[in-house]
Amino acid sequence: MLLSPQAASEAIRSGGKTGPIEVEGLLDLSQFDRPSLPARLHCYELDARASKLTSLPPDLKIDGRLVLDDCAVLTSLPRGLSAGSISLRNCKSLRALPEELSTWFLDMTGCSSFETWPESGTIHNGSLLLRNCIGIRSLPGWIGRLSQLNLAGCVQLGKIPENISVSGWLDIGGTGITSLPSGLQGAPLRWRGVRIDERIAFHPEQLSAREALAEKNAERRRVLIERMGYLRFAQEAKAKVLDEDEDRAGKRQLLSIDLKEDEPLVGLSCRCPSTGRQYLLRVPPKTKTCHQAAAWIAGFDDPSRYHPQIET
Amino acid sequence: MKRELIYMDAKSSKFWTIELAGNSHTVTYGRIGTDGQSLTKSFASPEAARKEMDKLIAEKLGKGYVDAGGSDAVDAGVGGSDGSIPMLAFSSINRRDDIGQNIGTFIGKRVMDYDPEKPHKPDVVYRFRSDWENDELLPNLKHFTQTGAAAETVALVIGAWHGDNPEMTPEPVLDVLMQAKDRLPKLAALYIGDITSEENEMSWINQTDLSPLLAAFPKLQLLRARGGTGLALSSPKHENLRALALETGGMDVSVIRSICMSSFPNLEYLELWLGTDEYGANHAIADLQPILSGRLFPKLKYLGLRNSQLADEIAGVVVNSPLIQRLETLDLSLGVLTDEGARALLKLPPSPTLKKLNLHYNYISDELIRQLKALPLTVDASKPGHMEEDDEDRFVAVGE
Repeated sequence: MLLSPQAASEAIRSGGKTGPIEVEGLLDLSQFDRPSLPARLHCYELDARASKLTSLPPDLKIDGRLVLDDCAVLTSLPRGLSAGSISLRNCKSLRALPEELSTWFLDMTGCSSFETWPESGTIHNGSLLLRNCIGIRSLPGWIGRLSQLNLAGCVQLGKIPENISVSGWLDIGGTGITSLPSGLQGAPLRWRGVRIDERIAFHPEQLSAREALAEKNAERRRVLIERMGYLRFAQEAKAKVLDEDEDRAGKRQLLSIDLKEDEPLVGLSCRCPSTGRQYLLRVPPKTKTCHQAAAWIAGFDDPSRYHPQIET
Repeated sequence: MKRELIYMDAKSSKFWTIELAGNSHTVTYGRIGTDGQSLTKSFASPEAARKEMDKLIAEKLGKGYVDAGGSDAVDAGVGGSDGSIPMLAFSSINRRDDIGQNIGTFIGKRVMDYDPEKPHKPDVVYRFRSDWENDELLPNLKHFTQTGAAAETVALVIGAWHGDNPEMTPEPVLDVLMQAKDRLPKLAALYIGDITSEENEMSWINQTDLSPLLAAFPKLQLLRARGGTGLALSSPKHENLRALALETGGMDVSVIRSICMSSFPNLEYLELWLGTDEYGANHAIADLQPILSGRLFPKLKYLGLRNSQLADEIAGVVVNSPLIQRLETLDLSLGVLTDEGARALLKLPPSPTLKKLNLHYNYISDELIRQLKALPLTVDASKPGHMEEDDEDRFVAVGE
């Protein structure tokens, strides 16, 4: 039964409508409040963002875009799901993608539970956006040529398979990736959206505080400092000591470095009581004492209420 | 040895031929339809003459000339015996600076404002327009459709229609055309909106649903329109349409969706001015996927995704598109194309068909332009002389 987008949306929303339903255009089911869609639904595009869908029917047919952003209870997608583009931003309950998924564009930004790739599928030609997919530990070997690959914030990811290549750019901000496969050599790199080169990405030991301080672009400077490590940067940049005291692990210092056209970098330098390792934690620039800084790090707005019995 | 080249755009329609004879060559050039003028030059040796000839030909090809006998320009005499418009004549606005002027030629023919007082001129394309003082578009168009010349006319240009009412859409114009459809049996090309920014900014032009025109004129080969506000193609079907060109400052996603759901089985030429979000563009690169997937238009030879804020992203995806194996021309001109997009284009796979890459008006560095020019294609990476080069503020050609 061929329905206009408007009529189809109304019929499906009111419930009881069964397939086959064919929609010439964009079927708007945003904020749809039922857990499932009628079977044998074919539409050009489906927008079911912020809906209560938990799954999609196995025979759903989409030609263009499929938008399922912010579907908080979506847990499974049908085998062989195919669409020109699929957007699953912030589908927090989705743990796996289906077998034989096929698309040009896949956006899984913020899918924090996602961890399982299918054995086979097709994601190619367009972009694969996995920003803040903190659960993924690997990428599948069947991904081929993409335009863009965003892995920023995939903190458990340390490696990219050999056959992936990009015609546009690759974002590896905050990942554990330490080298690129041959297909990605020379690819334009980004670190959480900031353009960087391979030296910044893979040879942070070659960076110096002098270079970071000389960087005019504030975004890029922040990345340089992050890549160097705050502690080494503070040491090399000859930070001012704002305050000093002692905790269980030894001396603590509140350090400050002025940055051009940016707020000063203020951080608490301390040692981990368990490992003895020294590190620097950035705190708000108006912080005056080590105690205030430690309280802020522990999540206390009012430092006077922060009296740790023991710090581990 | 002889080589014949031709050139067509919104301003002119020209030919240029060169003939080598011993140690001299003769160049003949002029407007198509005239004999033009000739110039013969002699050289010290046949080799020197040959070398100079090759250099001149390369220069002309770089400027957008094509071989008169090539598939771009079948029946380059314009409107050949079977009435088919040459591929080359579909394009109109080639340079950024053309945007600010009314077109001088359309489908390779000279454009003239219609004057009901004057005798009919064969072989010109009439333009009908109003200004705030003279609301003469509709009366003139009605007058023209009553004349005998209407039966022979192949192309019409509709200029500014708003008169003193900026809210006006071209709907009344469409009504006149559709009522006169039987008196316009040969109409093959229409331009709805030859309107300069002085007459009405591109983003202020009120357009309308143009698909009734498609239904009324089954022999239409080219539909060109300017203006994105109100633009629609509610029933995007046509058996014979070969070229569709939609110039907007910001294209609504619903127009892109209509094109993606269309049935234009004979479409060879698709030119979309995508624009910026400041002027109403609300699409993303993923909305273009059905076009780039190659499943829509089996005969497509020219794809123009122009005046786009997303030019870099488009470049990144289009190089992976199966269309590259079918297109003759890829046009990403007039948009915000930077080194990022240029690097993607350097990865264009070998193609048996692709000949031209139009990147006119871009933000690409000299170094990357040099690398692009080494591609085995004719690459136009020219920039208007007065283009602002600012890292922070990058605009599409229509959007400043």
